[in-house]
Amino acid sequence: MVSRKPFDRIDSCRLEKVTKKYGDRFAVKNLNLEIQGGELLILIGRSGSGKTTALRMINRLIEPDSGSISVNGIDVREFDPILLRRNIGYVIQNIGLLPHLRVSENIGLILKLESWKEEKIRERVKYLLNLVSLPPQIFMERYPHELSGGQQQRVGLARAMAMDPPLFLMDEPFGALDPLLRSQLQDEFCKIKKELGRTIVFVTHDINEAFRLGDRIAVMNNAELVQVGTPEELIFSPANDLVAEIVDSKRKYRHIDALKVRDIMQPLEKRYILYPGMSAASALDYMVKVGLEVALVFWNPENTGRVYLNDVLNAVSSGKSLEEAAKPLPLFSPEISLLEALARLKAEGESMGLVLEADKPAGILFSDRVLENLI
Amino acid sequence: MVLTGEVLQATLEHLLLAYAALAAGILVAAPLIFFSLYSAKLASLIMKFSNLVQAIPSFAVVALVVPLIGIGFTPAVIAIMLRVLLPIIKNTYIGLFNVDPALIESSKGIGLSEFQIIRHVRLPNAYPAIFAGIKFAAILANSIAVLTALIGGGGLGSIIFEGLTNFNTSKVLAGTLPVIGIALFLDFSFSRIERWLTPEYLQK
Amino acid sequence: MAIQSFNDILVEVMRVWTSQLLSLRTLEHLYMLFVALFFSILLGVLIGVLTYKNRKLAAPVLNSLNVVETIPDVALLVLLLPIFGIGVGPTIVASILYSILPIARNTYTGLSNVPREYIEIADALGLTQREVLFKVRFPLSLPLIAGGIRIAVVFTMGVVTLGGLIAAGGLGAALQNGIQLYDMGTILVTGAWVGLIAVILDGIAGMIENIFKARYGKWS
Repeated sequence: MVSRKPFDRIDSCRLEKVTKKYGDRFAVKNLNLEIQGGELLILIGRSGSGKTTALRMINRLIEPDSGSISVNGIDVREFDPILLRRNIGYVIQNIGLLPHLRVSENIGLILKLESWKEEKIRERVKYLLNLVSLPPQIFMERYPHELSGGQQQRVGLARAMAMDPPLFLMDEPFGALDPLLRSQLQDEFCKIKKELGRTIVFVTHDINEAFRLGDRIAVMNNAELVQVGTPEELIFSPANDLVAEIVDSKRKYRHIDALKVRDIMQPLEKRYILYPGMSAASALDYMVKVGLEVALVFWNPENTGRVYLNDVLNAVSSGKSLEEAAKPLPLFSPEISLLEALARLKAEGESMGLVLEADKPAGILFSDRVLENLI
Repeated sequence: MVLTGEVLQATLEHLLLAYAALAAGILVAAPLIFFSLYSAKLASLIMKFSNLVQAIPSFAVVALVVPLIGIGFTPAVIAIMLRVLLPIIKNTYIGLFNVDPALIESSKGIGLSEFQIIRHVRLPNAYPAIFAGIKFAAILANSIAVLTALIGGGGLGSIIFEGLTNFNTSKVLAGTLPVIGIALFLDFSFSRIERWLTPEYLQK
Repeated sequence: MAIQSFNDILVEVMRVWTSQLLSLRTLEHLYMLFVALFFSILLGVLIGVLTYKNRKLAAPVLNSLNVVETIPDVALLVLLLPIFGIGVGPTIVASILYSILPIARNTYTGLSNVPREYIEIADALGLTQREVLFKVRFPLSLPLIAGGIRIAVVFTMGVVTLGGLIAAGGLGAALQNGIQLYDMGTILVTGAWVGLIAVILDGIAGMIENIFKARYGKWS
């Protein structure tokens, strides 16, 4: 079956007076929302606020009781749901990679059902795996249970991109990951997003993630839309106390001068640290086995750095040592003032620094995270 | 025509044969299970052996009893017993060991002894499975009791096989219908008791 | 008949093997077994899929098959005689009637119990109902279906052996001869041979089940 795409690009996606009830309870009540072509719109709210229901109505996994949803002015009910969904990428928190299919088969599943040629599918799968920073030669033939959580999430993202859909729906895609990995995936996701220029609707309950990724943010509460706007609009003119509380503006401003690095740093797990004497090859083995995409090289306080999986891979193929592959990192004590640390990061043009306590790595300081926590 | 008295007599014989064997099976199974609770090695040996023997066709088991033990009522009981032993042991074992390990941990945590855990945690959890095993064994005993007529065990099987060799359809039916009746009655009544015995928290 | 040495055993085995035509009996036996198994799998999976697609049918169909299962095997064979005559026909039909249930039930259970998250993601990816059934539900049910087939192998083996009592040939015929002639050698050799074949077939079915488990069973 060769299907026609219902749409090639998104000019707008509009939800008008959309209502969905389960029994007596409103899941979504009279929702009006417009998603502009090319933007990343965040849907944020507590669990049960209706954000996921709203998301799932766009690709017709749930049908609204009343109101309409349209893409480029055409009601989604006029599209065949199968064609509609194949043209919308969908990524969820628990990923849902099919356990009986290899990574390549998971990503290529729809392509196969769309009768692509085997050769073309392989090519596309390789391209997508590279895009999400998973070396195809290592990962293509693996089964999902052989991947770490972060790797599975990348495969999930690659699968959603398989058909090159103009619209993505993402439901807390990074929610199950640990903080360091989450922030790294968010970074990469930002890059991919810029490269591909797609329209994305993104559900989260994490305001930091919302500020980091969103062009605009829609706040939902009790099945209703409370406010929609840019991060600045939400911070500086929150529609009500709830929004103010969610963006948490007051508390953080108050403490800015008193904060130390310790208050804002992300705790560092031991498994992220590579130890002295490790060769690039064994570091690669270790990172693949443990499922790390980024690791810290820590020899001693004078000799530290960070490496990405790709750096290590390149080092192995070009015969470089692990130390040569690592990029140096600024070092901080947890007790110095946050403002001072930020100034140094900015001066050195770095986005992250390592926090050392008694000459041992204790945490990571992300400059963009700090800003978000302060806003 | 077949005499009603003959069928009645055979039915009683049949029931006696099948349920003597079932009772014997339960009596033999109990100590085996008891010992296997205390020895994981013995338990896995018994399970492996049970699984292996269960694959062997009943007819072969019944036949093999002849050269090893002989013919007549007692060898028939032993043949049936050998057969029904397995589902009873297997189900009991599965029931006893399919308990959530966390539950066992916490039972140890509140200070229950090994025996108390078996008595108060594992056993209650195993009741439905044990009962299902006995139900299956009862139906199986009825079925194999037909076959043991071939080795002189008597019962309804004798009437069936007599009818078969003489091409006497009514005689065949006179033996077959009570056997089926017994099977359906067993299935029905055991299902009833099962529902009655199942603790409330396990019912849907 | 006094057996004193390994050589005597060998002589006795050879005597039984030739006098009871055990090569031929084995072939007959396996032929019935595989024909019956082939149709059991075909019908069992089909009924499993159909009851899955039509939930209302599930309870009545599976319960009636369950009733068939409680009927003693000899009685079932005997009941089929007026319809199918004697010999291979009723033996194969009875085997199938017995073996459909474990396969159908496991297929039904497997298809019904695939975790919701996989179904949801398949829907969201844009798989049609058919594709969800055959690309997601069915492969994920294969370990359970293979488990059902393993049970069916044991059932079929049992019923086919009984076929010897109604002139279907196979190894059951040799066993019956042994009992009727009160020939201990025949009973022992044939009985052991039947047991060995049964254990080997069960082992093979178990291996296949384990392969499926390793390949498709990672979610359970």
